Amino acid sequence: MNERLASRFLDLRALSALEPMRFTTRRRVEGTYMGYHASRQLGGSGEFVDFREYTGGEDLRRLDWKVLARTGKAIVRLHEEETDLSCTLAIDASGSMRFGAAGRRDATGSKLEYVQYLATALSHVISRGQDQVGLAVLNDALDSWIGPGATMSHIERLQQVIEGIATHPSPRMAGGLRELFERCRRRGALLLMSDFLMDDLEEVFAALRLFRHRGWDVVVLHVVHPDEERLPDGTAYRFEGMENDGQVSCSPAEVCTAYRERFAAHLAMVRQWALAGGCEYRRVSTAVSYLQTLGGFLVARAG
Amino acid sequence: MVTFLHPWALWIGVAAATMPVLIHWWTRPRPVRFPLSTLRFVREAVRQQRTWRRLRDFVLLALRTLAVLLIALAVARPQWREPLQVSDLQGGDTIRVVLLDVSQSMAARAGAVEHIQRARTIAANYLRYRPGLAANLVLAGARPYGVFDGPSTNFEALRDELARCRALPERSDVNRAVDMAARWLAPASDNDRRRRELIVISDFQRSNWSKVDFSPLPGDTNIQFESTAPAEPPPNVAILGVQGRASRAGAQLDVEIGNETSATRKIAVDVTVGDATHRLTGACPPGRRTTLTEEIRSCPSGWWPGEARLAGVDDALPNDNVCPFVLHVRPRPTYILMTRQPRGRRATSSLFLECALAPAAGKERRQGGDASPRVIRVDPVALDSSVVASGDLIVLDHPGKLGDEAVKLLAALLRRGRPLLYVAADPIDATNLKRLREASGGSLQMPVEFTPPPAGHARRDLVLTSVQRESPPFEIFGDHLTSTLDQLRFAGGLGSRRLETGVDADVLGRYNDGSAAIVLTSSDAGALAVLNADLAASTLPKTAAFVPLLTELVEQLLDRHRATTRALSGEPLVAQLPAEAGPAHGLWTVGPSGVDGGRCGQLVDEAAGSVWRWAAAGQPGVYCVQRGDATVFAMAVNIPEEESQLDALTPDVLTGRMAAGRMAAYRGVADEDRRRDDSWKWFVLACVGCVMGEMGALIVFRT
Repeated sequence: MNERLASRFLDLRALSALEPMRFTTRRRVEGTYMGYHASRQLGGSGEFVDFREYTGGEDLRRLDWKVLARTGKAIVRLHEEETDLSCTLAIDASGSMRFGAAGRRDATGSKLEYVQYLATALSHVISRGQDQVGLAVLNDALDSWIGPGATMSHIERLQQVIEGIATHPSPRMAGGLRELFERCRRRGALLLMSDFLMDDLEEVFAALRLFRHRGWDVVVLHVVHPDEERLPDGTAYRFEGMENDGQVSCSPAEVCTAYRERFAAHLAMVRQWALAGGCEYRRVSTAVSYLQTLGGFLVARAG
Repeated sequence: MVTFLHPWALWIGVAAATMPVLIHWWTRPRPVRFPLSTLRFVREAVRQQRTWRRLRDFVLLALRTLAVLLIALAVARPQWREPLQVSDLQGGDTIRVVLLDVSQSMAARAGAVEHIQRARTIAANYLRYRPGLAANLVLAGARPYGVFDGPSTNFEALRDELARCRALPERSDVNRAVDMAARWLAPASDNDRRRRELIVISDFQRSNWSKVDFSPLPGDTNIQFESTAPAEPPPNVAILGVQGRASRAGAQLDVEIGNETSATRKIAVDVTVGDATHRLTGACPPGRRTTLTEEIRSCPSGWWPGEARLAGVDDALPNDNVCPFVLHVRPRPTYILMTRQPRGRRATSSLFLECALAPAAGKERRQGGDASPRVIRVDPVALDSSVVASGDLIVLDHPGKLGDEAVKLLAALLRRGRPLLYVAADPIDATNLKRLREASGGSLQMPVEFTPPPAGHARRDLVLTSVQRESPPFEIFGDHLTSTLDQLRFAGGLGSRRLETGVDADVLGRYNDGSAAIVLTSSDAGALAVLNADLAASTLPKTAAFVPLLTELVEQLLDRHRATTRALSGEPLVAQLPAEAGPAHGLWTVGPSGVDGGRCGQLVDEAAGSVWRWAAAGQPGVYCVQRGDATVFAMAVNIPEEESQLDALTPDVLTGRMAAGRMAAYRGVADEDRRRDDSWKWFVLACVGCVMGEMGALIVFRT
């Protein structure tokens, strides 16, 4: 790999332990090339899966002639085809993703940085599995989009884009998702990494349902910063919104309980809506190393 | 209007009331800027908490601030007053006259403080320098006077005079004081637009102020009434007067007590006459006058100074608990009967008069007594002037035609105070009376002119039809007057016709033909009574009514002749000295202890005799006129009895009827005191309530 083009979020040494692992889907996928994932097509060149009685109109080439001769019954042999995976990484680039950043210009420690690490690692792992990886940077509109691809250069370009993601103070994401949905023609896997702190949450999940309806394998990675779960200690804070939503001065001690209740309700609501929409939901805390998160995620996917 | 006893406390209170806000502002934590992605949850949480928190903060801040303000108000001691018509806050050129009542009632005490002390404090507030203000001070006693001849800016001198003034033992001539103020407040020209203010400071005693007239004041005068009297008149018991009169046993003293309290009081009065002290006791009902009487036996004739003093009485006005008086015990009177009828036992008019004037003379002489009057018959033809002048009363009956010398003598004696009783029976008496009137030089104003009856017209069977029932001499008959008069028939006498210059009240009775029956009129110091009837031809001497009727008439004449022995402090004094006092040369006055006798007026000779003139009688006490060591006359100077009545006029009367449409306001010290004492307690109570409320609010909001 060209060192000059390597993303700063790509730590090959750390990822070396995860390289043998593959990102698998729990549903059949549509691929372009041969791969390791079960295809939605049950062709005749793949691994035998099952017999089934012949029904009129079926391809006679799948008829098991030997069984027909032996038993007189028209039985069709079913073979599972394997294809490659088309995985799209959708990254929320709203202003709230900068939470936890060390400074105005330094995003170190932010949710976005965490997602950048995670997405880069995922792209690396997925590409190592000969699968195609695409990228969508979501905002009120589709900020950036790179179609699925598996070539080295594609992955490098994708990782470069991930490295260059900048947040926009927009509290909406549904528009970007809908645009992404319109651009994606083939079924695949969609990994949405977001904190789900947005005004159009219902519309976002409505858009995700569109993906699911088309047969996409949708994985929702809910990124949570530990400092979001509880307010800081202190007598007076002026909390400033990160998406042009003003500021609020208060004493955290007076509102901490109500805040915790509301935040917990928000987490529960996102989880509930995700599961109800047929999506896989995983809460990702930035307090946990992205490698650990990725490993856990891959293991869980591998079943 | 609200004023404050300690207004500085208000400023401190306002400053202190802002302290909770300032402390909160100063000590509030400086918020730390913190970018937060979950601001929406913070906002929702804050929105939920903010309603309660703001309510709690507002309630606590309001209660705390209110508590501080209430404490400040309590310390400031607010005083609710009626709105003032006069205030130094109103600028501009101003003429101000402060009229201060210095009458005796202002010495009354309420709460151990004399009214005059309160009045001085109030007046001093109005006599302070202010640009454009010119003021004067009128001290309204019996003879009001101003400190300056007009409004002045010398406030120092005004306040000095104010500090020196005291309540005087006299009443206040309020109308004269108002006239004086009106003169100073009158605009100097048509362009004089200065503000005019009259401040009247008094106890507004009803007896003094009920007839005050503010009409002389300019119409645009602003009047401020400042009352020093409490809401309820303070209890007061006073000796209103002491009367001494001769009695058969010696002398009788009548002490009149006024009880201005709400309950019947048992009163003891120590009366000192000469060296002897007598104690009079009795119960005095509230709001009424009570007369206590004491007989003084074996009191020789002469002028006796005395003093009556209430024993064991502690009331609002101590000065009226003492009353000086003069007891004049006279020797037996002498009547000069001028008649041409001879002495004898025939039933003549003069005999009836002689017997009626000295009914017990013969009996007492036989018993060795000498207290009854003496009657000396004198023939008008051979008149001895010294004998006539020695009589206390001159009675003329059938005198015939009087000579010129006799008429002149009688007129002179009449002017000098000698009373005359003329029994007009004959036609010639009309001429005598006319000449006597002319000789008096106009001082004798008869209500009627007596005329001889027409020729051939006999006056007989005359009946008294119109008499003054409530006045002497008919008053003594009371309810029996009608039956008494019915049995009387008169004959003789003169006709009469009314004179334009006469006074109808001087005709005490009229006959059924319209002619005057009894006339009583004055002439300088003397008095003349005319009994228009021929007694010998009338039934009057033969009835029981004759002696009392004649005695009453004579007493009436003698009372007028007797010099008054009582004067009022501060009032002009003119006293006709008795004839026996002689000429003014060689007489001098002696005052009570502490008073210079040489400054007690003047003794002068006048046509009617010696007269004692004093522009303003001095302090209460007994003043004597002496020749050598002998007292020839005495006069008691008293406090006016109306000064003992301390009930005051209501504010409505003062600001309404009295002010006569002028801008007027009233302020009472009593209301001020009561409200001042009460209000600060309520503020403290409210402050405690606020503190309790704050604690309660904290508990409620915490739960």
